[in-house]
Amino acid sequence: MAFTSMAFVMFLALAVAAYYVTPKRYRWVTLLVVNYVFYYFAGVKYFVYLLATTITTYIATRKLGKMAEENKTAYNAAKAELDKEGKKRWKAEFTKKKRRVLIPALVFNFGILAVLKYSGFVTENLNALFARISVPVELPVFHFLLPLGISFYTFQTMGYLIDVYREKTAPEKNIGKLALFISFFPQIVQGPIGRFQNLSKQLFEGNSFSYERTKFGVQLMMWGAFKKLVIADRASVMVDNIFGFPDTFGGTYVAVAALIYCIQLYGDFSGGIDIATGAAQLFGVDLDKNFERPYLATSIPDFWRRWHITLGAWFRDYVFYPLSLSKFFMKVGKKGRQVLGNYIGKLLPVLIPQFIVFFLIGIWHGAEWKYIAFGFYNGTLIVLGILFEQPLQELAKKLGIRTECFSWHLFRILRTLVLVALGKIITRAAGFSLSVSMMKSMVLNWDTDILWNGGLLQLGLDRQDMWVLFLSCLVLLAVSIMQEKGIHVRETLAKQNLYFRWAVYLGGIFTLIIFGIYGLNYNAADFIYRGF
Amino acid sequence: MESLLKILAEIRPDVDFEGNQELVDSGELDSFDIVTLVGELCDAYDIEIGADDIVPENFNSVEAIMALVTRLQED
Repeated sequence: MAFTSMAFVMFLALAVAAYYVTPKRYRWVTLLVVNYVFYYFAGVKYFVYLLATTITTYIATRKLGKMAEENKTAYNAAKAELDKEGKKRWKAEFTKKKRRVLIPALVFNFGILAVLKYSGFVTENLNALFARISVPVELPVFHFLLPLGISFYTFQTMGYLIDVYREKTAPEKNIGKLALFISFFPQIVQGPIGRFQNLSKQLFEGNSFSYERTKFGVQLMMWGAFKKLVIADRASVMVDNIFGFPDTFGGTYVAVAALIYCIQLYGDFSGGIDIATGAAQLFGVDLDKNFERPYLATSIPDFWRRWHITLGAWFRDYVFYPLSLSKFFMKVGKKGRQVLGNYIGKLLPVLIPQFIVFFLIGIWHGAEWKYIAFGFYNGTLIVLGILFEQPLQELAKKLGIRTECFSWHLFRILRTLVLVALGKIITRAAGFSLSVSMMKSMVLNWDTDILWNGGLLQLGLDRQDMWVLFLSCLVLLAVSIMQEKGIHVRETLAKQNLYFRWAVYLGGIFTLIIFGIYGLNYNAADFIYRGF
Repeated sequence: MESLLKILAEIRPDVDFEGNQELVDSGELDSFDIVTLVGELCDAYDIEIGADDIVPENFNSVEAIMALVTRLQED
């Protein structure tokens, strides 16, 4: 059931009505039933994976909770007799015991994801390798259909499991409530990846109906639909044409495609997130922020702090910190300082885990070499950015470049956008080698005439559609700049005169109806990140 | 406290740490700074800081960082 379909709108309306007619105490039960009905529409056979994750996480977290309680009692009783070393040993022993519960649960759940998502890729590449080195073995290759939202709910649930292991949150005793946290339908499709500490209270306590919140929720959903149906789906026509026919559309067309694909991907993904966040608000639930105007970022690290924020935060908390603070990387840092000097040595425990994180973010997107290349591309940019930060600052000083003015800020935004757009070519092209040849063609056959001689009109959009796309992007940019300056658009609009407000609402509704991309041959269900 | 301020100033000379209560929440200290800081704190105070301790509340102010160090020294 796609977020932009009429079926979803009707489902949501019924779900909201069912939620608020249920007595407060049992509203979480209604929400759980609604989630499972939603998941049922995605395919009944996928329930087994969702239930397996729910049950194993429930068992593991309850066990960890019980162990923590017992340990606390025993430790408090023995504490007075332990010296510093004794306390350290006690802690280490208990951590070891907890890991015996944590690791099997992690392996099982990430194992499901790995088998379903990556086994085809791994076996195909192994077969290619065997053929190359003349080993007469051919492994069977399976390509599984991915259960709806498996990457998102697995990451969310494993985050909760690790938080219980770290004793940052108490384990949920009611398996029904845990099932609700794992399957909340607005966010299961494409995130944002939530945290138990933030969601549990909102999901489990029956929320009261609020007209203001409902109004804001509907507005946000319409804004998301605008980004998806008017901008992203219109942009996709041009993007599909250029990437579909790279021999016909080389040179400057590639740069156009990269830029338009940036717009498409942002409209598609952040539009979907807006719809999810708006839908959650109808139930009184505030989801975590997933985007913060990424194309106004001034550096690649800044971009990743603004794009798919919850995935970045997940990798930061559960992969980057444990890796970089591990004894191994601390030793690497110390050794590095002795061998490579203080500056580089200090950076090693940061740079290597950062590279590993981007490799993982790359393969999180899909089981293809191009995603691995995308991970390395971003990892390399970030590492180079850190290494050259100081020398570049000194160079700018020597050249007398003022770094506090608007023009420098704009230069940094545009430079980041170009680097991001190049990365998008890698992920959007049909394969990694094709993306390289497209970039080559962009540099060697640069010809800006296509921007003025009607060349852009060969990409599937007529002049009117081009104008709609252009003006819609201007609206998106204007709203983004307002938000960047700290203006709350919905709240500001709510303070305006009735006539003005309704002119904006009706303008938005008619824009969606008239300029949204629909049609018999068009499948509005295809949110890009749904596939991840 | 002075030795802590010295460590912080070496890592981020551009940040005014005293009185700042939102070092992490405001984005002034990022994850790279935190990792570098943790390495320095472990060496300077002979403590072990794990990933479990990396929550914004422990790093949002000089006082919070000092409280974390003291707690881990006592543990």
